[in-house]
Amino acid sequence: MKHSPLDRFKKGVKSWETVLLGLLFAEFVIFGIANPKFLMPRVLLGSVNDIISICIISLFVTFVMITGGIDIQAGSIVGLSSIVIGVTWQDFGLNIWVAAILAMAVAALCGALSGFFVAYCGVQPMVVTLGGSFLYSGIALLVSNISATASYKGISGFPDNFTQIAKFKLFGVIPSQLLIFAALTVIAYLLLHKSKFGRKVFLVGVNARAAEYSGINSRFITLLTYVLSGVSASIAGIVLTAYLGTAKSDIGVTFTLPIITAVVLGGTLSTGGKGSVIGTALAALVIGVLRFGLPLSFKVSNQYLDIPVGLLLLVVVVGRSIAANPTLLRKLGIGKAKGQKNKA
Amino acid sequence: MNTLKKITKIREINSLFFLIALFAIVGMVNPAFLSPTTLFNCFNDSVVFTLLATGIAFVILTGEIDVSIGATLGLSAAISSSLLRDGSSWFIAVAAGLLSGVVVGLINGFGVSTLGIPSLIFTLGTNGVVRGMIYVYTGGAWVENLPANFTKLSQIKLFGNLTIFYLVVLLAVIAAHIALTHTRRGRYFIAVGDNAAGATLVGIPAKRTKIIAYVLCGVLASVAGIIYSSRIGFITPTAGNGYEMKAIAACVLGGISLSGGLGSLLGASIGAVIMSSVSRILVFLGFSSDYDNTITGILLITIVVIDALTQNRAATKSRHERLAARTGPAHAKKGGAAK
Repeated sequence: MKHSPLDRFKKGVKSWETVLLGLLFAEFVIFGIANPKFLMPRVLLGSVNDIISICIISLFVTFVMITGGIDIQAGSIVGLSSIVIGVTWQDFGLNIWVAAILAMAVAALCGALSGFFVAYCGVQPMVVTLGGSFLYSGIALLVSNISATASYKGISGFPDNFTQIAKFKLFGVIPSQLLIFAALTVIAYLLLHKSKFGRKVFLVGVNARAAEYSGINSRFITLLTYVLSGVSASIAGIVLTAYLGTAKSDIGVTFTLPIITAVVLGGTLSTGGKGSVIGTALAALVIGVLRFGLPLSFKVSNQYLDIPVGLLLLVVVVGRSIAANPTLLRKLGIGKAKGQKNKA
Repeated sequence: MNTLKKITKIREINSLFFLIALFAIVGMVNPAFLSPTTLFNCFNDSVVFTLLATGIAFVILTGEIDVSIGATLGLSAAISSSLLRDGSSWFIAVAAGLLSGVVVGLINGFGVSTLGIPSLIFTLGTNGVVRGMIYVYTGGAWVENLPANFTKLSQIKLFGNLTIFYLVVLLAVIAAHIALTHTRRGRYFIAVGDNAAGATLVGIPAKRTKIIAYVLCGVLASVAGIIYSSRIGFITPTAGNGYEMKAIAACVLGGISLSGGLGSLLGASIGAVIMSSVSRILVFLGFSSDYDNTITGILLITIVVIDALTQNRAATKSRHERLAARTGPAHAKKGGAAK
């Protein structure tokens, strides 16, 4: 019992992960009963394309939020990576793989820039990444203007071996996106929970000053988390571009809400210091399955899907805040009594 | 307290100077920009953002954030304009729109203040729900064919070229600014944002103040929604999408600190004018409006980075001064020499 606080912390996270797993299971049961087609592997696994970007990015935004930061620019980096691939491949004649690596480098640079302002200039993460989301989506639009193709059309006609990234299926059923997600989850897990770097990320989140005094370069660690989330956004951009077969500057602009929702739902504290990769991965799947299952099994229109996702987020944060604060529970008890009186 | 007041004053004057300098530089490059019509239009077109930025400024001053105002704008616009289209009286339409803002504001205030949930997370959630409500309410369809006398309202101009909307909003902002800086209750907002625990200790109802801030924010967003429908003339279900980010950016440009307790409503309204003039300025400078987001992003980051650096330096300096005062003149001299 040397690491008893850490063990207890692990237990807490694990119990929340069990809740998420139960939620995921419940979704499968309910959607499966409502529409058996939902459980067909081809249908279920085919749905992965719609959610894969959010799953990938939220894994690494978890790192940022554990340090106490927030990243609302990842969505615009997705578009930027996509258009960088398209323009460098089509208009500059680069090899498609070189273009993809270039896109990752650009994304890393974007992340590093924002991370630098957060870590070394002490600007609030929310403001920096807000500015970043304007800046990078703006640059994406400008890059798309370099191209001979009109920006609203998008650049298409990629070589087969590139689009194969998203078309490949293991054993004919498991789509490559799921494999990429699984691989990234393992990488993120090892990085956050099994490596020195991950330990430092947690320490910075718990108390940056204490971390600094104990010899951790907390500023550099903070910067690195933004680089990681930027790179993950570019991976999502590559996968999405390969799947759509089109490079556009504005794919990904709607990802911000779902990404943050997934990270928070996964048990990461927005104040930093606590969180887990497995929790985020499960939460992203819960949201993804919800967004896929409601239209399929209950004929809920796609346009309404913000409501259940928003409600899920609200219920979870309200529930968690009540559970953490017993005085609130008492207050709510009074609230309940009032409600019953009104009913009677 | 005095220094704080000074800084606050300097901050909004800084943004005013920035606005004037910006306009002057654009005017030098292209004198056509300085024609009265163009200048007035810069202000007229900022009316929606002025309302949004002023509303969210209340919340930001108390140290919280609200990212649901874009959706609130859309909901209020959809409700009031569909009522007007279906022939109900103006009073009912406007009241229903405002009510939607009050309700969203109360929910946000309850979640953030009473339940103590981090404001970004909670308002992200309500943002999703409210945005979805717009689809439910409108069935995903556009609200069109608004009564002509309603849409004409946005074109009434007084004193040359200023629209009546902007004039009323400007007067309201000035009144609110004075109320916030010169009344006891008004100062609660800044006190709570500066130090919530300290404010509670001296008897300021911090939680209630935050709830009031959220309600005001919701109401102003719903007013923005009604003006938006009058100006645009039709409402799509995505109306106001992303406006929350632009309103926050306007506040930052106007010298409001996102950590709360620093800034003013006038600053927010100046920031809103800068924010909404960017695309017009680009056109007058001969750039395509595709540069809009890039310039906004650069402006935003530059301003906040400079602001953070100067604040850090001021904090370090005052720490040195305190140290010097404690340790006596000998050390003070050393400290001075080291500099």
